[in-house]
Amino acid sequence: MTTENMSNAETDVSSHGDTVLEVDALNVTFPSEDGSLPAVREVSYRLRRGEALGIVGESGSGKSVTSMAIMGLLPKNTRIDGSVRLMGEEILGLPDKAISKVRGKKIAMIFQDPLTSLNPVYTIGFQISEAVLAHNDVGRKRAWERSRELLEIVGIPSPGQRLRQYPHELSGGMRQRVVIAIAMANNPDVIIADEPTTALDVTVQAQVLDALQSARKETGAALVLITHDLGVVAGQVERVAVMYGGRIVESGPVEEVFYRPQMPYALGLLGSLPRLDEERAERLAPIGGTPPSLMNLPRGCAFAPRCPMARDVCHTEEPVLLRTLDNGDRVPPRPEDAAAHVAACHFSDELGAGIRPEALFREAGKGSGEETERSEQGAAGDPEVLLRAEDLVKNFPIRSKGLLKRKVGDVQAVSGISLELRERETLALVGESGCGKSTTARLLLNLIRSTSGRVSYMGKPLQGLSDKQMRPLRRDLQIVFQDPFASLDPRMTVADIIAEPMLIHRTRNGDAKKRVKELLELVGLNPEHGSRYPHEFSGGQRQRIGVARALSLNPKVLVLDEPVSALDVSIQAGVINLLEDLQEELGLSYLFVSHDLSVVKHIADRVAVMYLGKIVETATTDQLFEAPAHPYTQALISAIPLPDPVKERTRERIVVTGDVPSPADPPSGCRFRTRCPKFAQDLSKTEREKCVQEVPGLLERGSGHRDACHYSEVVELL
Amino acid sequence: MLVYTMRRLVGAIPVLVLASILTFVMVDISGDPLLELRTATPPPPEAVIEQEAERLYLDRSMPERYWLWVTGIGGEGNIGLLQGEFGPSTQGQQYEIGPEIAERLWTTLRLVGIAMLLALGLAIIAGAVSAMRQYSKLDYTLTFVGFLCLAMPTFWLAGIVQASGVEINQLIGENLFKTIGDGRYGAEGAPPWDQFVNAFAHMALPTLVLMLTSFASWSRYQRTSMLEVLNSDYVRLARAKGLRDKVVIRRHALRTALIPLTTVFALGVAGIIDGTILTETVFQWRGLGDFFITAVENNDSYALMGWLLLSGFMVILANLIADLLYGVLDPRIRYE
Repeated sequence: MTTENMSNAETDVSSHGDTVLEVDALNVTFPSEDGSLPAVREVSYRLRRGEALGIVGESGSGKSVTSMAIMGLLPKNTRIDGSVRLMGEEILGLPDKAISKVRGKKIAMIFQDPLTSLNPVYTIGFQISEAVLAHNDVGRKRAWERSRELLEIVGIPSPGQRLRQYPHELSGGMRQRVVIAIAMANNPDVIIADEPTTALDVTVQAQVLDALQSARKETGAALVLITHDLGVVAGQVERVAVMYGGRIVESGPVEEVFYRPQMPYALGLLGSLPRLDEERAERLAPIGGTPPSLMNLPRGCAFAPRCPMARDVCHTEEPVLLRTLDNGDRVPPRPEDAAAHVAACHFSDELGAGIRPEALFREAGKGSGEETERSEQGAAGDPEVLLRAEDLVKNFPIRSKGLLKRKVGDVQAVSGISLELRERETLALVGESGCGKSTTARLLLNLIRSTSGRVSYMGKPLQGLSDKQMRPLRRDLQIVFQDPFASLDPRMTVADIIAEPMLIHRTRNGDAKKRVKELLELVGLNPEHGSRYPHEFSGGQRQRIGVARALSLNPKVLVLDEPVSALDVSIQAGVINLLEDLQEELGLSYLFVSHDLSVVKHIADRVAVMYLGKIVETATTDQLFEAPAHPYTQALISAIPLPDPVKERTRERIVVTGDVPSPADPPSGCRFRTRCPKFAQDLSKTEREKCVQEVPGLLERGSGHRDACHYSEVVELL
Repeated sequence: MLVYTMRRLVGAIPVLVLASILTFVMVDISGDPLLELRTATPPPPEAVIEQEAERLYLDRSMPERYWLWVTGIGGEGNIGLLQGEFGPSTQGQQYEIGPEIAERLWTTLRLVGIAMLLALGLAIIAGAVSAMRQYSKLDYTLTFVGFLCLAMPTFWLAGIVQASGVEINQLIGENLFKTIGDGRYGAEGAPPWDQFVNAFAHMALPTLVLMLTSFASWSRYQRTSMLEVLNSDYVRLARAKGLRDKVVIRRHALRTALIPLTTVFALGVAGIIDGTILTETVFQWRGLGDFFITAVENNDSYALMGWLLLSGFMVILANLIADLLYGVLDPRIRYE
């Protein structure tokens, strides 16, 4: 019986050639109280043995739901139809017993958030062994051995010891590697990775992507890489499918899609991305509007309401995926050319090669002329310093758990930071999570008390001011928060939210309403929408409301704490453009806190790079990106994936190993030395001594470019 | 862990002391232990009242009395917690508070222990099943039963159960359920099987009532906790590994979903001493609840203090056990 099944399966495989996964006309509909939500519509793709396919889309595009449907992990009440064949075998709708033999054995999955993907109450070893034992009855001991091997493959140091630890004892990057190890435990034919690096820092992202590639090499598995990051896609996959409104709207070889997109949405996505590898003078070209709600998808092409090329037919007839032949005819793709470049657009022939996104997605009424004017202004003269910090230190005490709560140590969040923010300038504070950049921003606003050091605003010292004394200064110093969902009171109308600062400061008693309308208009929202509540707006619109609130008191300085990192790519560009316009119009100074160097390169005049509570390099944006001197800055720049397949695959890399050490116990001397590639590879033993013993000072390299490395050396990376 | 336990126990002492002072003051000002004597008709001679006041140490000031109650220094040897004496009672010279509490505690624990274990087991099963079949008919039924038990006042629920017991007895024409008393008197010396049947007959109904009241809220907690875990990424990953559904549920979902229930259970156990008052009253058990009621009726302040102290001690103990259990169940929590 079993042998018969085996041979059947084998013939099935051979008849399907080298196709391992075949998704055909997959539809997923979620029932909800307001009607059914079509999350995935008519999605089809084929995956060949060992191939890597990227699926790109914004939130709500259906990219994750598609893979959950393939794995059979959606709630029972979800309506799924279509077909999913794995090695020629239908796996959609299999009963528990049958599907559990497929999951983990033939097809494995990696989830987005490594912090929640592992069960907190079992050891790492138990959880990997469990995956091994689920399909091979080899006994606990052998399974444990295999787990050790797997951890080694994904590059976890001292695996034997790690096996006995619990998930909470490992960093996020490590945990994601454990999940990768679990995925490859039974040499699956397909690995689906759903945003595997989105929750991680860039330097760790590079490590995890490496681990993913080793897993592929080891198992020969085909990869479906789901992500919103076009840079990650460019470097990791051969083919890419772009999803929008629950459908695949374009797919093809990655170079084809990136260099010759045939669907305006793909082009728009590329255009709305701030790029590390291009000159910053260009204005971003955001896609107007917001992604459609699944509840009421537009008739015709789902992208039509946001598409500058849309005509009547786009609003009535939904385009299908067609392939453009050499003679210009567009035909449905045959099953055998699954890898061909196809796009779902009525007018894709009008998108000739070489069309620039900014030519298509130009914002109405706003040219790019202002941009050059702006940079000139930045260069002229020596503007006044508004905000100055000297030797700022913030330690958070760690207390013992006993009754006495003795102080047993300090988390050194910020350790001696000095910086200056000048008038009409954008200063970016860059670093990975936990480096102290947000704490610095809060210290500058006197929202938390510093342990030592001085902050002054226009020459007036801020430390030691009481809340009451600080209040008049708060008008000038405002903040915009990262999360547009948590930073607006859901029970207040938008008009009330924006007017609240004016109420507190008793300015504009009478005409607050008028001012709210002005502000709404200023940030690009409909001034009539003041009476609505925050939940009626999309993420990008809410962030605009946050900006309007910050502007209501006519501040001079705006602290922007990761203002665009919670937003989708196509939305992010619009907010960045708005911030640039506002600076231009209102003469604002920005302290821009961010982990995203691409955005920073686009918006900042000067950049300060932070690592473990210290500034390691500060320079003008041009200096920093053209000639980064500190090994950390170099590693950071080279870890950011470029949304350009050829450049991304051929560029030189400076790789950082390991995780950020705990700020409660930072390394002696140079804090970066434990992860420094230069320290590990280029320095002699005597040279290393200096890194271990001496704390490097932030020294001038000339024309304002300073770095804190004993052996700094400029490297050109872009 | 041992050090942690010791530290917690030592830390509990000031809490107990503070609580005892507070309750002592409140008990003292809320009633006069001699009230019955004073209002009796015909009025007893002044000397009798004075004698009684002296026996109950009421001739001393409140702080003096508290000190005496704790240490027993300067007393007649029948008072002083540190010497194991709970003080004289208004209910006569022969009424000894300490032994009385001990005996009542045993009666109550017999009732409560079984009821709690049954309630816990049922709550875990019902909560888990409810969560796994969210929005099914079964879930709705269990939810309805849960809220019904929550919403019914205990004395009423107890009354209904008692009345049903009587009804059933009449229907089958046999005294299957005993609806009054704990049945310990008169059963002594009987053969073991008869003793067991007798105990069962007396315990079945009050246990059912106590169980239902605890079960109701616990099953709700378990359902919520289980739902959260079922939607977690690690349960999804366990499925993605290729584990069978029942293994995923048992090993990954139920195991972790039990952790938050520990606290709820401990708090429930701590509160059950007070919770049994109504049930014991309805079924006329001579347990701690009955002890409390009689003490209040007799303005017996030392008896009340003894009961309150025990109740406070149970709360602290239950919380400590819950915290220690957390350390065992959840590796993220470690005490050193």
